[in-house]
Amino acid sequence: MGHGEKGGRPFKKFKGAAKFEDSRKTFAEDDDPYGGDHDAYEDDEGKIKDFSQLELKPDHVNRPLWACDNGRIFLETFSPLYKQAYDFLIAIAEPVCRPESMHEYNLTPHSLYAAVSVGLETETIIAVLNKLSKTKLPKEMIKFIHESTANYGKVKLVLKKNRYFVESPFPEVLKTLLRDDGISRARITSEGAHGDGFTISKALGEIEGTHDELLNQAEVAAAAEEKEAHAFEIDPAQVENVKQRCLPNALNYPMLEEYDFRNDTVNPDLDMELKPQAQPRPYQEKSLSKMFGNGRARSGIIVLPCGAGKSLVGVSAACRIKKSCLCLATNAVSVDQWAFQFKLWSTIRDEHICRFTSDSKERFRGNAGVVVTTYNMVAFGGKRSEESEKIIEEIRNREWGLLLMDEVHVVPAHMFRKVISITKSHCKLGLTATLVREDERITDLNFLIGPKLYEANWLDLVKGGFIANVQCAEVWCPMTKEFFAEYLKKENSKKRQALYVMNPNKFRACEFLINYHERARGDKIIVFADNLFALTEYAMKLRKPMIYGATSHVERTKILQAFKTSKDVNTVFLSKVGDNSIDIPEANVIIQISSHAGSRRQEAQRLGRILRAKGKLQDRMAGGKEEYNAFFYSLVSTDTQEMYYSTKRQQFLIDQGYSFKVITSLPPSDEGSRLHYHHLDDQLALLGKVLNAGDDAVGLEQLEEDADEIALKSARRSQGSMSAMSGAKGMVYMEYSTGRNKGQQIKSKPKDPAKRHFLFKKRFGPT
Amino acid sequence: MVNATKGVFISCDIPMAQYIINMNASMPACDKFIIHILDSTHMFVQPHVELMIRSQISKFREDNTYVKPS
Repeated sequence: MGHGEKGGRPFKKFKGAAKFEDSRKTFAEDDDPYGGDHDAYEDDEGKIKDFSQLELKPDHVNRPLWACDNGRIFLETFSPLYKQAYDFLIAIAEPVCRPESMHEYNLTPHSLYAAVSVGLETETIIAVLNKLSKTKLPKEMIKFIHESTANYGKVKLVLKKNRYFVESPFPEVLKTLLRDDGISRARITSEGAHGDGFTISKALGEIEGTHDELLNQAEVAAAAEEKEAHAFEIDPAQVENVKQRCLPNALNYPMLEEYDFRNDTVNPDLDMELKPQAQPRPYQEKSLSKMFGNGRARSGIIVLPCGAGKSLVGVSAACRIKKSCLCLATNAVSVDQWAFQFKLWSTIRDEHICRFTSDSKERFRGNAGVVVTTYNMVAFGGKRSEESEKIIEEIRNREWGLLLMDEVHVVPAHMFRKVISITKSHCKLGLTATLVREDERITDLNFLIGPKLYEANWLDLVKGGFIANVQCAEVWCPMTKEFFAEYLKKENSKKRQALYVMNPNKFRACEFLINYHERARGDKIIVFADNLFALTEYAMKLRKPMIYGATSHVERTKILQAFKTSKDVNTVFLSKVGDNSIDIPEANVIIQISSHAGSRRQEAQRLGRILRAKGKLQDRMAGGKEEYNAFFYSLVSTDTQEMYYSTKRQQFLIDQGYSFKVITSLPPSDEGSRLHYHHLDDQLALLGKVLNAGDDAVGLEQLEEDADEIALKSARRSQGSMSAMSGAKGMVYMEYSTGRNKGQQIKSKPKDPAKRHFLFKKRFGPT
Repeated sequence: MVNATKGVFISCDIPMAQYIINMNASMPACDKFIIHILDSTHMFVQPHVELMIRSQISKFREDNTYVKPS
């Protein structure tokens, strides 16, 4: 029903710009297939900006990017300089959208902050940008870069003997900071401090003159050379707030957090090396080099697609720092996987690595080691067992060399932030595939962890054969007549989701796809359904195993094991629990039948389940035997809300350069009778089942963030009606008035004779 | 005797036909506009409602379409 062509969507903004073509004939070049219409774009008010005034350099053909005065940068990926330009741009700007031939980037204060923190200098940024740009660099952009980077590096956050200090060679900078309410409240004044209250380390003597004189730029620089570090202590619990206040959008003194681990003699070393067979791939090397740029370890986030080898990056980082490391994962299963990865890639001895979950409470011997645990275990606020209380106390009191955080996009959630405030670490490394959240709190990570150090381009990894080449498809399933009629009724508004998920056409499309991939291609298939009712219904009908929140750990392991090894189990049904971290490298087909509203992250995470590259490398490379080796189907009932959600969910992947193919005719008509729900009677029976199910039964699965100790101990809480529990559902009690008040009622509520049923009209006669 | 009624013949897909029928059902009795439902994809309605149906359907489709905020 005319939902527009899918492939064109990411380019929408360029279409609008094409109108400007005529007025800028002088500007359009013939050798450029894009005709210059990509340097105009819609700004926040939706207006189209005209950049035709920008001065074009004479040798613009050889230069790969367009820089616009509003901070947008467009990169031509077909340029021979693409690789170098990409590496540079990803360091200084935020990628907005990266389709195949043209990337869009945005310069933001945060991204520039990240750039200087990886060691780029203001002048270098401007010079290189100018070299790569087709046009003369706009003045606004140069000014913006200067403003955003001027104050960087003046303030440092240092962890010394388990106490946090804000350090700066410039006392007046500290004073500026302390003028801020939030920071002055976080300050801990220690006794015996100097006149202005700052502790001065390595001081060569008292500074001469008043501090006011130091405001002069030259003298500030001179003072810095004396290597005096003024510092004040802050409350560990307030570190997050202080960091937030210092960000570019507030006081604009972004804090530098570097860990000079080589010269750290206080914390004991941990004996671990990367095994020789662990060969980091080029992009993994690159991300690590960003982290250890100047011999020190920087805090920050590394973004790599799922299946691209995030764990190896984490393990390598731990091996370089060689200090105690706390590794946080989202659930017990991934804790096991991380512990395994550590043993697989590094020479760490078994007694130095321990897991801390509800099932295994190991403690490492010696004074340094690696602890792998979950966010929940650390942040849990309630009462713990004596044993875990002891371990937690140890974690709290220890000074960690590296805090390694997996799936860091979940961290902004309130509970997880606690983790960062109670564990003291010199350096934090966040790993994620999808730095996107629906609540826009992703920017919180800038002060919770640090800037984004590296972000890989998905399509480049696909081309390099490092991750699977996925064919994404959206399968449109029209609603059947009966289901759509019910869907439209107002009284069914709570059941809408169940109705569009249980749409028989969708079921048949799903069944057809399973049959096709199992039989014709011998693939391993995961089917995702958020809606528990649908999950059970589909899995039962098709006789396939399923895993959801309430499935026990033992059963899960058993099903996954069978899925991995057995030839008979080729399909598994997963609820939301399968979104993150469950490692099923065998699977290469995903069929999504229902999803969590418009969550872009879920879509990307689900796709990540099949991104691990399979088969021989040469087959996967461009021009190999198989163009696609993994398939991602999203089944959508047309004309329902699902269409809206589905498009929204795809945005993240589209921004990464993926395109979705729309399939409208599934199952093919000749397959019809071999699939379930071919007859109207069956469909009607299914409809009856959906309608009779309670509203709470057809809703979304209520899932605790994690399924380890805390989740298991606390009772499961789900919203429901009391009547459902007592079995009295569907019964209605009505109060009938007894004869006593009859007379009064009639008096108080005289019936409107016109509304009387015609039978009674006869009886009462015309009034 | 032959009765002639002027109307609009609508041809659409199955879900949209259901949408129009649902719209008709939600109207008060005096405003009901469907004269005859011919089959699951065709119907005959009062001539004056054509614009209303068009605008309702386009609104319905608008609601189910996601537009990326710029």
